[in-house]
Amino acid sequence: MTSALVDGTSPGAEVHRRHTAKWVAGVALVVGAALVALLATRPPQTATEVDTPLVGQTAPAIGGSTLGGGSFDLAALRGRWVVVNFFASWCPPCQQEQPDLVAFAYAHRTPGDAVLVGVVFDDSDSTARAFMRSTGASWPAVFDPGGQIALDYGVRGPPETFLVSPDGIVVAHFDGPMTEASLDYWLARAKGTG
Amino acid sequence: MSDPAHRPSRPWRPWVPWVPWVALAIVVGVALGLGASRGGTAPTPTQRADAIDAVIRCPSCEGISVADSSASTAVAIRGAVAARVRAGESDAQIYAFLVSRYGPGILLRPPVHGWTEWVWVVPPAALAMAAAGLAVVLLRRRRRRRRRPVPVSAEDRALVERALWERSRHLGQPDAMRVR
Repeated sequence: MTSALVDGTSPGAEVHRRHTAKWVAGVALVVGAALVALLATRPPQTATEVDTPLVGQTAPAIGGSTLGGGSFDLAALRGRWVVVNFFASWCPPCQQEQPDLVAFAYAHRTPGDAVLVGVVFDDSDSTARAFMRSTGASWPAVFDPGGQIALDYGVRGPPETFLVSPDGIVVAHFDGPMTEASLDYWLARAKGTG
Repeated sequence: MSDPAHRPSRPWRPWVPWVPWVALAIVVGVALGLGASRGGTAPTPTQRADAIDAVIRCPSCEGISVADSSASTAVAIRGAVAARVRAGESDAQIYAFLVSRYGPGILLRPPVHGWTEWVWVVPPAALAMAAAGLAVVLLRRRRRRRRRPVPVSAEDRALVERALWERSRHLGQPDAMRVR
């Protein structure tokens, strides 16, 4: 005896219901597969330029001890383009942008060229140091206990990057992970050659 | 048991309708006086810093003040506010510093200038105008009622005169009352 007869429904209605269920399951499968494909092939999130009050103003001072044990002073880099990058080892977008920053630093390693400076954001010096070492980063990274430097730059959360001109003016502010190409683009544009 | 008909008639007191309004004015006056006197003492530096923290938006949070957040950015801002209060900066100077770093969005209360002034001015002004309009309408209606007596038909007049006559006869009093 079929379940349809047990339920008291006609065999035709049972067949119709099974057809409907198959269609619904098929549509849900197609939509789910399309969503997975869309997310898998989506380009990684990149930085966006943000308009903040600091752009056009003198870059706030950055000074203090570096993760490498030395000392750093932003004022000593007057005359060079400086990329100031606020980062943390616990932040996935920072991990995403790190290989591009390494490539950018390597491409601009000649003396007098643009220089990259990291500022540790809400992270311990040991984990930040391990993060820098594991990714092959060789640029100075300043420790910022108390977040005073981040506050002076109006940083909301890492990664955030600032482009500082040779005369010490903030010319651009980026929110999100940078790429080597976008850094080169913005640097060339700021120099007036882009 | 007292008969309502025997209740002595009270003389009309013109000030009676104003009693609730006078009472309301006294209550409002006392409340405003108390409120104004409470703000008389200068706040301590800690109280000032707390008051500023309460209106600064946590930059890495969603819609809460730095006073209510334990995020590192909120902690840093609280420290900066406390240091600047201790250094003798005014509230306006501290707000200006934070706005110069994060933009006007760092303030939970938008600054009062330009168009934003209207946001603060229009509602109380509209409320005051509505209250004044209501008062004018009520006063006019009252005066109109006083000025224009309700017309009484001859039938109604006769009905009332008969009722009064029956009442006076029942009480054994002379028929002295007449409808005017």
